Amino acid sequence: MPASALLTATLEQAINRVLPLDPDSAARLQALSGARLTAFVAPLPFGLSLSFSEQVDVHAVHEAPAEVVAALTEKDCCIQTSLSVLPELQQTSQLTRLIQQQKLTVDGELQIAQQVSALFQQLDIDWEDQLAQVTNDVIAHQAFTTGRQVHERVSSLLGTFSRTLGNAVVEEKQLAAHRLAVMHFNDSVSTLRDDVARAESRLEKLEQRLTKR
Amino acid sequence: MSDNAPSTPVKAAQTEQEKTDFGFSQVEKTQKASLVANVFDSVAAKYDIMNDFMSMGVHRLWKRYTIDCAGARAGHKVLDIAGGTGDLTAKFSRLVGPTGSVTLADINLSMLKVGRDKLRDRGLISNIDYVQADAEALPFPDNHFDIVTMAFGLRNVTEKQNALNSIFRVLKPGGRLLVLEFSKPTSEQLSKLYDMYSFHVLPKMGQLVANDADSYQYLAESIRMHPDQETLKGMFEQAGFEQCDYQNLTGGIVALHRGYKF
Ligand SMILES: C[S@@+](CC[C@H](N)C(=O)[O-])C[C@H]1O[C@@H](n2cnc3c(N)ncnc32)[C@H](O)[C@@H]1O
Repeated sequence: MPASALLTATLEQAINRVLPLDPDSAARLQALSGARLTAFVAPLPFGLSLSFSEQVDVHAVHEAPAEVVAALTEKDCCIQTSLSVLPELQQTSQLTRLIQQQKLTVDGELQIAQQVSALFQQLDIDWEDQLAQVTNDVIAHQAFTTGRQVHERVSSLLGTFSRTLGNAVVEEKQLAAHRLAVMHFNDSVSTLRDDVARAESRLEKLEQRLTKR
Repeated sequence: MSDNAPSTPVKAAQTEQEKTDFGFSQVEKTQKASLVANVFDSVAAKYDIMNDFMSMGVHRLWKRYTIDCAGARAGHKVLDIAGGTGDLTAKFSRLVGPTGSVTLADINLSMLKVGRDKLRDRGLISNIDYVQADAEALPFPDNHFDIVTMAFGLRNVTEKQNALNSIFRVLKPGGRLLVLEFSKPTSEQLSKLYDMYSFHVLPKMGQLVANDADSYQYLAESIRMHPDQETLKGMFEQAGFEQCDYQNLTGGIVALHRGYKF
């Protein structure tokens, strides 16, 4: 069974569950409607494409990058890089060099990559509110007062990251910044999922404490 | 071809009164279509649930892989023949976007209706047409579609070669056909295990969940009667397809065949 299908199914589910938790993401998704972002990260044997409509469809791309690039429309963006280059992408000062060395390629509509990055970067989810919907408000609140420290640390990390990115967009060549942003959007998603997991475990502990009383 | 009313059925021209397989039974060729119709009339309502149940959800991955290999892009015209309850159509509808179109075609009105209701409930309407049609005699112009997919449908067609020829005709030059179908497991052990599953477990599940053991017995038998990987590849070539290849999925329980029209 192609592992790629399992991977994209999982990614797709995660993304489409997380996005609606931020009421503002609908508008950002709307702006991307009809657009597609394809990423080839060597040595991954296939590319990944994100197609935007009222939801995000994640698919494996088994065509060669050249074929994808040849068929780009004005609603397409295709990025190519390699796994070994990913760490270097964190240093915005290196990006221009990477492009010159052809370790990084962007074809098509750059704005799409930028919008995709914004979609995930600007996710602002009220986890307390989410939890309150499944449990009662008091427990949710307690879970969050105790868990807030961790939560804030994560948020501030994300904030720093967004600022770095923001600077990159301003300071570096546009081209480079977009790519950096895209490389990190997956990270953001998993950070958010970690967040939920942490909140859940705090909640469990609290519940145990409450029932012991 | 309207969103609201499936168009009139198109019957394949049939001249010779020969026998063909219906599962393990031999029936008049003219009878097979209506026998198959009975099966899908009978399973339509519970079709989606049974698919998940019987394949343990894996059919979704097979279909997803098929879509990945289809290379659908914004603006493409896609035909999902024997599309049934529209699993592939739903995905394609979003991938080809408002500038593209997807035609969900099936010979069976019950299946088509279940599909149409499901897709409408999901808000997918604007770029989907619903057409009642026989794969053997597709009611579409020559050189019309960029992509044709047929998932778990070919097995049920009376004259499979006619269907492949007909699909070849409606594909645009440069277009591709993807056929996802049960096939021949590559290992002896898997094959035995799979036989046990399909002939003993499956009809019982069909009885329990859908109260319809016969239809699922037919399913098992029709899978066994379907041409193996190499034979089907040869039939693709005979229809005129080029660069034909196939990929075994889940040890050959299912194979994805692909061919291009140039
Ligand atoms: C097992 S279902 C597959 C449905 C869907 N493609 C899926 O994968 O879930 C098989 C479908 O083939 C349709 N079918 C059978 N013979 C056909 C023919 N000659 N032309 C078009 N569709 C046919 C049946 O009506 C049924 O909906």
